[in-house]
Amino acid sequence: MDFHPAAICNPVTLEIVRGAIRAAQAEMEALIERTAMSAFIREKKDFYTALFDAEGVMAVGSNVPVFGDICGPVFAHFPKETMRQGDLYWYNDCYGSKGAVSHSNDQVFLAPVFVDGARVAFVMGWAHFADIGGLRPGSISPDATEIFHEGVIIPPTRLITAGVLNEAALAIFYRNSRYPKLAQGDARALMASVDLGVVRMREIAQRFGAPVLADALRQLLARTLETVRARLMETFAVGTYRFTDRIDGDGHGSGTLRLRFALTRTPEDRFILDATETDDQSPGPVNFLMNRDVPGMALGLYFLGGDPTQVVNAGGPRALDEVLLREGSLLAPRFPAALGMRGLTMMRMLAALNGLVSVAGGEAPAAHAAYVIMLLRGTTGGKPFLMSDGLGVGYGARGFADGIDGVYFVAQENYPIEFLELEYPIRLRHYALHCDSGGPGRWRGGCGIIREYEILAEESILAVRLDGVENPPWGAAGGQSGRPGRVMLNPGTPQERTLRPLSDGNRLVRGDILRIETGGGGGRGHPFDRPAEAVLEDVLGGLVSAPAAARDYGVVVAGRAVDAAATAALRAKRPETRAFHRGSYADVLD
Amino acid sequence: MSSTEARPLSVAVDIGGTFTDITLQDSETGLAWTAKTPSTPHDPSIAFLTGVRLALEVAAESASRIGRVLHGTTIATNLILENKGARTALITTAGFRHVLEIGRQDIPRRANLHAWVKPARPVPPSRVFEVVERIGADGAVLTPLDEASVLAAAEACRESGVAAIAVCLLHAFTAPAHEQRVAEMLRAALPGVAITASVDVLPVVREYERSLAAILNAQVMPAVSTYVARLEERLVEAGIAAPLLLMKSNGGVAGAASIRRAPAVTALSGPAAGVVGARAVAEAAGVPNILTVDIGGTSADICLMRGGALQLTQRGSVGDWPLPLPMMDMVTIGAGGGSLARVTREGALAVGPESAGANPGPACYGRGGTRATVTDAHVVLGHLPAALLGGRMALDVAAAAQAVQREVATPLGLGLYEAARGILAVVDSNMVGALRVVSVERGHDPRDFALVPFGGAGPLHGCALAAMLGITRVLVPPAPGVLCAQGLLSADMRAEFSRSILPAQAGDPALIDAAFVALEAEAEAWFAEEGVAPEARSTTPTVLMRYAGQGAELPVPWRGEDAAADFAAAHRALYGFDLPEGRAEIVTLRLEAVGALPPNPVPFLAAGVGARPTGTQTVHFEAGPAEAALFDRASLSSGDCFVGPAIVTQLDATTLVPPGWTAEVLPRGAMLLIGG
Repeated sequence: MDFHPAAICNPVTLEIVRGAIRAAQAEMEALIERTAMSAFIREKKDFYTALFDAEGVMAVGSNVPVFGDICGPVFAHFPKETMRQGDLYWYNDCYGSKGAVSHSNDQVFLAPVFVDGARVAFVMGWAHFADIGGLRPGSISPDATEIFHEGVIIPPTRLITAGVLNEAALAIFYRNSRYPKLAQGDARALMASVDLGVVRMREIAQRFGAPVLADALRQLLARTLETVRARLMETFAVGTYRFTDRIDGDGHGSGTLRLRFALTRTPEDRFILDATETDDQSPGPVNFLMNRDVPGMALGLYFLGGDPTQVVNAGGPRALDEVLLREGSLLAPRFPAALGMRGLTMMRMLAALNGLVSVAGGEAPAAHAAYVIMLLRGTTGGKPFLMSDGLGVGYGARGFADGIDGVYFVAQENYPIEFLELEYPIRLRHYALHCDSGGPGRWRGGCGIIREYEILAEESILAVRLDGVENPPWGAAGGQSGRPGRVMLNPGTPQERTLRPLSDGNRLVRGDILRIETGGGGGRGHPFDRPAEAVLEDVLGGLVSAPAAARDYGVVVAGRAVDAAATAALRAKRPETRAFHRGSYADVLD
Repeated sequence: MSSTEARPLSVAVDIGGTFTDITLQDSETGLAWTAKTPSTPHDPSIAFLTGVRLALEVAAESASRIGRVLHGTTIATNLILENKGARTALITTAGFRHVLEIGRQDIPRRANLHAWVKPARPVPPSRVFEVVERIGADGAVLTPLDEASVLAAAEACRESGVAAIAVCLLHAFTAPAHEQRVAEMLRAALPGVAITASVDVLPVVREYERSLAAILNAQVMPAVSTYVARLEERLVEAGIAAPLLLMKSNGGVAGAASIRRAPAVTALSGPAAGVVGARAVAEAAGVPNILTVDIGGTSADICLMRGGALQLTQRGSVGDWPLPLPMMDMVTIGAGGGSLARVTREGALAVGPESAGANPGPACYGRGGTRATVTDAHVVLGHLPAALLGGRMALDVAAAAQAVQREVATPLGLGLYEAARGILAVVDSNMVGALRVVSVERGHDPRDFALVPFGGAGPLHGCALAAMLGITRVLVPPAPGVLCAQGLLSADMRAEFSRSILPAQAGDPALIDAAFVALEAEAEAWFAEEGVAPEARSTTPTVLMRYAGQGAELPVPWRGEDAAADFAAAHRALYGFDLPEGRAEIVTLRLEAVGALPPNPVPFLAAGVGARPTGTQTVHFEAGPAEAALFDRASLSSGDCFVGPAIVTQLDATTLVPPGWTAEVLPRGAMLLIGG
């Protein structure tokens, strides 16, 4: 008999192992959150963890679908057979990792886990470091035109060899940061977190035995793969589905840039995602070096839905048989193209995948706006400061709920106003949801944000990244697109001017007022089908204006109530809709 | 508290869904009496008083000898969880109307961005009104309070028909004058409406969390106030002049007046009383270090106590809402006796967090439940007697077996007993995870602790959990199912007084000391209000510290200059490293005030004649079936010993003693199980 029950993980043990790994992951995350130094990590919480099997295949990842093959790049330099207990590997090399990391601020720390001399797992800690050198404070800048402008590049490096730390490597890294103490504190937190993950994974392997752990990880992978694969089959009949989405430009003169996706299911049930028709790469830093695993990871997240027993892992990417990219395109730029502002392209990529599902008749969310960042650097009281503020946007409406109002992304929190004002030379005058920015629909798109800052620093330079001004997030199934955002200086005064939404080098001085309005998400379903009471609540809550309620939803609000007769009259003249909407209705978006 | 000698009786009242339990104890003699009466959900104060009278009858005591009335209530918790509090408005600084709606701007880390729906706030944006004013980060007034705008907001509140209003203005934790003035004007303009200023509940930095705390407090204020007032009236009617003391989330009690002002401090009190009771039981057994696990129908609460000290945390939450008020540091997971077991479409075994609830309850209760629960798994394996509640509630073994077979065994291709053990293995593993969070993750070795399982289902799991953690001692309280009564009887009065410290002040010990003097004055005022005798008063100054740049603080005792070294040691112990190059800074001061109450010791058991089993029952252990002796807990006496496998039954709980474990009944009623 080949069957060894003791070596195989039964369903009960599988659930227990899954719970133990999730607990280890939560513990690693809590440690980073509580001990990291930079506001970017501790308040904004731009960090993630993941666990891999003995071969480096992601078994338990995070709910952020932007991770590619993390371990492969390390193995290319340090074969896994040569690794030893106590090793720690480190990189941020985007091109060297084929986009596993997609901008240089993100540092990856990876450690193998050994039990009795045998490798049983890998543990990853990942975080965005506030400054790693480069053209401007914060390292990412719309002005960058090559990756060398975006800070120091760390190729896959063995930072700790069997317990012995390569202090020189860290010293060089810290020396390249404008804020070495932050970098040092963050690195210590991340390394402590990976240490902890190694201890926990070793305990799990010892408790259940390495073969059972290996089998459990294999099953978690298989479970995700089967689920995603089955949902792909349900969603896409044999044939080819196309969807195109756009970003406004690269901030260096390249105009609207298109992401063109075609998903084919062959008669043999092979799934091929073809992105080769996507526009060429740009001089500006909006290029998204997309790891081939990313689209599968993203589709996987959508198909797994909200079921808490599911885990996002390499099963998603494996559900796609092939991902075709064209070198020199926006999604596969050639070294050394700049990548720092790839976030907006990444967000469009996620929307375009939802678009493919919609084209096939699925109920994927309408498009969301890309989260907005601003970096303010300058001097106050003679000391330099760097403030990186992330601004929420509106997400797309779903077939069962409105789009989410005013969120940034998974796991990333805002800076509380009281914290911001204690820490930085600014004062907030206004922080609110952006009225009328959510795309009208039976389900309304989420509203963006308004954040208005008064500058208290003597001198400062602003970088900002806001997309979707010319090409707002599309609506679906009769819903309309979200309404765009904008960046303004000194609004309502004679000095009022509009800043370029993707730009750096904007000089601000004490007393200037900076107003950023972010865009809303697309709506879903005919706006006239939205219950009048829901529209009224939006009006009273300041999310929709009374004129927009009448114009977009056919609902007349008088005082604090709905005028039923006037509403019925308006709604009798029901406009025709089409499948998609971006500024106007269309059957196909291009 | 001066007349305690003349009034030595304490009465503790615990109101459950079905029964109201009363315990009466004489602090001089240590004698205790209990009574039980059906709850009266339409007006809980009826059962409250009926029960107290019953207990007095049983004890042949008079109401005039009662010195304190102790009570834990989950009214605030339930109102928040079910979103059934008063219709509430929020008043905030002009320009910041949507702070509550935006929240922290994140999709939670464990949520799926495509599926997640932002939970509806307890106050919708249509009931958030703005007042014109602005205070800067340093506390300076940037825009004076425009009182006309306050009157306009009051008018808007009146029009929207609210019964409660929360006020949260930016930086009020540094400069509360505007907030206090707005609250004062609202009280004048809208008599009868419950008003909460954020600084009266949670005077610390971060506007979203502080707004929520103020709202949750305001929302439960009318109902809690009415409830407390009615209880007080009934007590007077019954001739009881003793103060009514209510359990708080921090594990202490406080008088009705302070609870009415800040009812939110009771919102996380549910699990606290039991833990305080466990502490009393452990103390009586001479066990200083305990890990407690309180397993109820839908959840389990896990806590660690070293040397009897109550550890506080400010990371609590109620339902979807963070509520960073001081609470006992514990971990709650969605696993209990009623947790449902299911096999997912992908073939995974999941247990909880969905629960069968009280109705229909587990399949074995025979009330129409057909889904398999944790309790059904116990029934299948023979862990429970044929009937519960002293024989009044028969268990339907066949229904339990059917549910486990259909819901778990068949889909997974397992045998019935294997499936039942699988269900228990999954919940036990979840609980072990939580036990590790409070011990291993905080630098403690669980093997240095005794496990104290309680709650109706706790003692069924105690030995299994202990074995998984390498713990060899399990201490089962005398009445594990109603331990909160013990907790109420042994609780002291407790309150915390906090203040955020601006970075500019953090480095100056003289300023810190001065701030503590101010907090001491607040504590003294509270002691005076509560009538705590001077010799019963004590305070402990604590500073919450972090390395400059970090976002989370650690509590360190304040001894003056050494705080940085103490902090570094705490950081090392908890996180495995410290930062010699980092600058440790004080963020918040916290003064913990305790008013000691006359102790109610756990009573002694009479010595007996040795344990005699009432019968045997077949239990299906992993190693195979075995005959377990059945013991009636009520017939066990001090010094009785027996060995597993055994099942100990009592009205409020059942204890499983597996093979390899021995049981000994201690002089004061707890049962010590030793194994491993």
